[in-house]
Order: sequence, then C-alpha cells, then structure tokens
Amino acid sequence: MTAFAALTRASFKANTRDTATIFFTFAFPLIFLTIFGLIFKGQRVEETGNGYIDFIAPGVLAWGQANAASFGVAFSLMQWRKDDLLRLIRHTPAPLSDVVLARLAIAVGVGVAQCVLFIGVATIPLFGMHVSARWPLVLPVMLLGIAAFLGLGLIIGAVSKTPEAVSAIGNCVVIPMAFLSGAFIPVELMPAWLQDVSYTMPLRYLLDGLVYALAGAGEARDYWIACGVLTGFAVVFTAIGLRLFKWSNEE
Amino acid sequence: MRGAALKTKAMQAATSRTAAETAIEVERLHKSYGAVQAVTDVSLTVPRGEFIGLLGPNGAGKTTLIEMIEGLRVPDSGTVTVLGRRPYPRDPALLPLIGVQTQKSAFFPHLTAVEHLETVAAFYGLDRGAAQRALAQVGLTDSAGVRVSKVSGGQRQRLAIATALVHQPEVIFLDEPTGALDPQARRDLWTMLRQLKAAGRTIVYTTHHLDEAEELCDRVAILHQGRILTLGTPHELIGRSGVGSRVLLPATAMSAEQARTLDGVDDATVGTDLLTLHTRHLARVLAALGDHGGLDGVQTRSATLEDAYLELIGAQS
Ligand SMILES: Nc1ncnc2c1ncn2[C@@H]1O[C@H](COP(=O)(O)OP(=O)(O)OP(=O)(O)O)[C@@H](O)[C@H]1O
Ligand SMILES: [Mg+2]
Repeated sequence: MTAFAALTRASFKANTRDTATIFFTFAFPLIFLTIFGLIFKGQRVEETGNGYIDFIAPGVLAWGQANAASFGVAFSLMQWRKDDLLRLIRHTPAPLSDVVLARLAIAVGVGVAQCVLFIGVATIPLFGMHVSARWPLVLPVMLLGIAAFLGLGLIIGAVSKTPEAVSAIGNCVVIPMAFLSGAFIPVELMPAWLQDVSYTMPLRYLLDGLVYALAGAGEARDYWIACGVLTGFAVVFTAIGLRLFKWSNEE
Repeated sequence: MRGAALKTKAMQAATSRTAAETAIEVERLHKSYGAVQAVTDVSLTVPRGEFIGLLGPNGAGKTTLIEMIEGLRVPDSGTVTVLGRRPYPRDPALLPLIGVQTQKSAFFPHLTAVEHLETVAAFYGLDRGAAQRALAQVGLTDSAGVRVSKVSGGQRQRLAIATALVHQPEVIFLDEPTGALDPQARRDLWTMLRQLKAAGRTIVYTTHHLDEAEELCDRVAILHQGRILTLGTPHELIGRSGVGSRVLLPATAMSAEQARTLDGVDDATVGTDLLTLHTRHLARVLAALGDHGGLDGVQTRSATLEDAYLELIGAQS
C-alpha cells in the first residue's frame, strides 16, 4: 500500500467511526435547505419559469461543499499537528504531497456523497427542485471547487493551533463569503459594487458552475470560465497552504 | 609524488572507514527557547552498534538533544550527522534508516493498534506482515484490535515502540521507552533491546531508571542544564565518582565509633538494626572485619550508577 492509500484509508476509517462529525457534515446543508425551501416554497422566477428552489439549492450546496472541504482539512491538519501526528509522519518517508492528496480524496468523497444526498432531498415534492439535463457537469466544477476550498483549508489549518482558532478563522472567511457570493441571497438583489466584489470570491464561481449544471441557467462560456478560475484559486491557495505548512507547532 | 598519492588514498580509506563505523556525529550543538538554554555546546560521537543512554534530571535537555539528532527540532547552531547524512531538512533517504519513539507518543485517531501500525508500515512501503511482526515484538498481539484511544498507558508506550521499530531501522531513538511499563514488561523490553543490539543496531535512549541504564548501556552521558557533565561506560562513571562501597553488619556487632577505627573505613552510620560502613577499600575493610570477629551476617553493597549520578547531580546544586 502507498502512503497515499494508507492515509486515505486511515482518514476514511476515522471519519466513519466519528459519527457525530459525519452526521453534522451532512445534516448542516440539509437544515439550510429546509429553511430556505420552506421560505421560498412555490415561488417562481418570472424570466426562466424555474422555481426559486432551483437557485437556492445550488447556493446552499455550494456553501455546504465549501464548508465541508475547508473545515475538514483545516481541522484535521490542526489536530494532527497538535497531537504530534504530523511529527510522526515527518520522521517517516511519507511524502507531504500524499498527506495533501489523501485529504483531497476524503474531501471529494464527502463532497460527492453530500451532493447526492442533497439533490436527493431537494428533488422530493416538498421542495420540488428540478435538475436540468446538464447535471453531469456538476462533477468537474464540484471537484475544482473542492480543490480550491481544500487549499483554503490548508491555509487555515496551517495558521491555527486550536479547534477554536479553526472555527473562528474558518467562519470569518466562509460565512461572509457565502452571503457575498450569493449562496444565500441572490446577487441580483445586491448593489452593483457588491456584485463586483462577489467576483473576487471562489464561492461565486462554484455557485455559477452549479447553477449552470443543475438549474440549466446561464451560458456555457461562463461555466468554463468558472472552472478555470476555480483551478487558479486551487493552485494559489494550495501553494500558500504548503508554504505555511508546519510539521509541528514548535517549529 | 607516488608516495603522496598512496598516502592520500590510505587516508581516504581511513576516513571512509570511520564514517562507515560512526552512526551519529554531533558537533557543538546549541538550542535555546527564549531565555532557556536547553542544550549548550554538546558534542558526541556514537559508533555503530553502540547502545548509549542519555541521563539527567527533568529539563536537562535530553529530549531537545535527541530530537535535534532525529531532525525533529532545529538546532540554533552546530551540526548533526546520522549515518553520514544530515537529518534536517527532511531527508527521505535517511528516514527509513532511523526509528523514532518520541516522549509524547502519537497515534492515528479512531484506529485500532494494528490499523495504526499498518498505516505507519505503509509509509515505508511495507505490508501488513511488518505491522504484525512489530506488534509481536512488543508483546501486543493480544491487543491488536483495541482502539488506540482505549489502550492502557503501558500498552500505549509499547505501541509507540512498535511504531519506531516497524521498518527494522538501523539507528533507533527511544525517549523514555520504559516510563509507564510494569516490571515484567520492562524486563521484556530489555530482552528485546539486547536482541536489537546483538543484531548490530545502534540505540540512543533516555531514561530515568539508572539501574536499567547500568544494565543495558555501553556508554551513558549525564546531562545537566543542557550540558554533558560526563560521558563513559557505567563502570567508568562509578569509578570516577569516587562513591565507594558499603558494608552492612548487624548493629549489635560493634559501635559506630569502633567501626570508624577499622582499616579502610571512611565513615560509619547506625540505623535501627544495621551498621553501615562506607569505604573505597572494600578488601581492607573485609579483612579488618575478619580479624575483628568474623564475617557472619556481613553484606556488601557496591556503588551503582545511581549513586554516581546522585553524587554528580548533587554536586551541581
Ligand atoms: N518546545 C519548547 N518550548 C520552550 N521550552 C522548551 C520546549 N521544549 C523544552 N523546553 C525547555 O527546555 C529545557 C529542556 O527540556 P527537555 O524537554 O529537553 O528536557 P528533558 O531532559 O527531556 O526532561 P524530561 O526528563 O522531563 O523529559 C527545559 O527547561 C524545558 O522547559
Ligand atoms: Mg524528555
């Protein structure tokens, strides 16, 4: 077995055995889906004829994915460093890239499961979400989005020494981003300058990509731009995260 | 010309031989944490196959020193070479050759003992057999399926040792491996360490059990406030300390005043039922006692490494 396979297996087992964390990872977006679903129940968007839920659901899903990817990696990095597990890895020949790729594998697994569960729930008649025929395009943009937020998680995990720090920093970054990117309220309701600001945020692109794939709204060109920009965020965030990476808090 | 070339060749052979026979070379190592000088000007050469003990009171700098040798802490100045390579920055070619047990052990959360070891084994490209072997080596086979969070303190320590040994490393670093072990487990570990030494492994370890160090180590270094106070075989250290032997006899045999007049006796103290004679000339004292009325009920205690250690550390404060 490679270090990558072993780390992925170890993390997978740890995740499945830690039922409380796994439950909230999946329940969190569903709670938001329920709240927004009930608020906008039956309302339709005039121009496209879609139900509001078709736009709200990708928003909540995008936020859920961003949250799970960035917090998942940030918490485990911080905890592994705090528990001296990274020091243990440090004195074995396991490459750092395998540590990061194993986190990516876990994050993608969580993301795909979360996505399937979420869409499954959103399409029940109570919420009545319609999924467009372009739905397979969810996968590329989702993978790139997860990679970008994993990079963000590497940064947060590198600068945090305690779980409290991860929560504080992570929430300060992700929650405002969720609002400003239009994950919770449509960007169209925001002043023009705030709409411009939304384009500086990776979540905006993940959201655009998911709306294109799931609601079937928007241009193909914008979808691919979103994928490109997310790739850029993933590369830059990961590079910064690796730069800040420390094997132990004493270094 | 020819002579010079031959000479250079011979010298090269000599240096490469010493390099091959040296496991660890530490030169003028310094490390401080803010105002605390944790390690000050430590130099040390450990030949291959040696079992060396680092001793010293809490805070003496043992962990700091051993972790700088492992590459886990960065020295402020000085150099470390392990098997001819630098342990810092991280060197993937060196890491499979060294095994590390840190004072604070770390395990993968939510895994069982054997799953943890299998994970670590995979880092070295090894299969499950390596994990099973390491578990058996520390006598943990019966606890293989227990979650790491549920194992006892002593089992934890044994699992940490197994983690250090899973890849059969050439140089083994153990930071207080016997602290939490019960007496039997400690003896089992001694047996295992002796086998590793017999197999030619180099072992660097720290302990607070002086009897154990005396039993196991080829050489010991006693550290105090970041410096090596003394370095040598346990026997040499005991000799150097000037701590003598003790002779115990029934308190009824004679008075302390009488005892002090015997040939070779440095001092005598009286306890509830025993009279203790302190001497650096055991044979003379025994001869004198023989003349005085026989050796019935006489016991002798020779100086131990612990005596030498306490003498040396006591003299520092
Ligand atoms: N990470 C650290 N940050 C600050 N000070 C430290 C750190 N690690 C060790 N020290 C200090 O350095 C000195 C040496 O500590 P070290 O842990 O090396 O001692 P030790 O000989 O291993 O002690 P013990 O027998 O208790 O394990 C101590 O004064 C300690 O307080
Ligand atoms: Mg220590």
